[in-house]
Amino acid sequence: MISRDDGLKRARCAGAAFLLAVMSAACSTGARPPPPEGDAARGRELLHQYGCGYCHTIPGVHAARGNIGPPLDDVGRRVYIAGSLPNTPQQMALWIRFPQTYRPGTAMPDLHVRADDARDMVAQLYRLR
Amino acid sequence: MMRRAVTLLVAAAILLVAAAVFIALGLYNVAATEQHTRPVYALIEATMRQAIRFHSRDIVAPPLDDAARVRSGRSLYALNCVRCHGAPGIAPESFALGMTPSPANLAYAAREWPAPQLFWTLKRGLKMTGMPAWEFRLADSQLWDIVAYLQAMPGESPRDYRAAISETERQTDQAVVQPASQPPAGADPKRGIVALRQYGCATCHRIPGVVGADTPVGPTLDHLARRSFIAGVLPNDEQGLMLWVQSPQKLHPGSAMPDLAVTQRDARDMAAYLQTLQ
Repeated sequence: MISRDDGLKRARCAGAAFLLAVMSAACSTGARPPPPEGDAARGRELLHQYGCGYCHTIPGVHAARGNIGPPLDDVGRRVYIAGSLPNTPQQMALWIRFPQTYRPGTAMPDLHVRADDARDMVAQLYRLR
Repeated sequence: MMRRAVTLLVAAAILLVAAAVFIALGLYNVAATEQHTRPVYALIEATMRQAIRFHSRDIVAPPLDDAARVRSGRSLYALNCVRCHGAPGIAPESFALGMTPSPANLAYAAREWPAPQLFWTLKRGLKMTGMPAWEFRLADSQLWDIVAYLQAMPGESPRDYRAAISETERQTDQAVVQPASQPPAGADPKRGIVALRQYGCATCHRIPGVVGADTPVGPTLDHLARRSFIAGVLPNDEQGLMLWVQSPQKLHPGSAMPDLAVTQRDARDMAAYLQTLQ
């Protein structure tokens, strides 16, 4: 199954139309980590409920078009999050729950996200590639 | 039928002559400050990826999940690779920032490429990119050590990297020659694009208008001008942007974004361009 975002990414990647076939092969990569555990559909709803979209543009989340912080278009592929944390599902969940602990003074507030909620959000965010 | 063949032949001949004239007049600009167009870049990159995939197909990786290997690979990386590719929180040296294509940030490639492809690339090098072949410089076991480290690198924070690299291995040559000429009065967003390329910004960020590999090490700068904050804490205006691109490590110690000795003029031009990204 190819999500809309994958499709967009591939379309962008194709560049010249005659390269489409070669490029879609070139864009599919080998050793990605498996998708993290969690209920992505619930995570998408939670990203809406916690108001993440006020600050972040998040593909697939209703009305998430904020521009306070960076867009999360490809956050599942990013090497680092929050400027300095290696991007793993565990780190991302901790960042979502305790941003003020990791970066005191950051514009991102502590929202008292529960651990299982954070896990489901991460499952959804990791689909954004 | 005959006529169509003749037409085709004539068309081919005209194309060949046009290409010869284009080359003979020197119209193609080989300057490293001229970026490739998007289609040319995509073609070159696809050619490279497919070639690496094909030529590495019979290579079998030894077990790489091994602390000793990673440690040895990190030392070898610090000695041989960091000058061009940088490391978590460490910038490439000034000469490497002037290269086209920009040496890749390997934290991303390391996560996405299978180990045999990394090994083959290290060993054989990449024609026309500046990537040397290490086959006659390092033993295969050492190359695998580097691959082992590369695979561990995306999970390593900039602080961890610095802590793990001993003082002598640490890259010290960060001095950039500051141009002596007086900068002009106004900011120049056009020059800002060239500056963003010359400081290697696009090796970690997707930047509209800058052609480069799609390697999201840090956040994309699409629509940056609409954003309220940058780096989580700074206001997104000329002052904030200039401060951040000039001293990320001061503002966010341990950030994956390295200090790049960006000059005042270059920072101002970068900021001017970034502010056009609506």
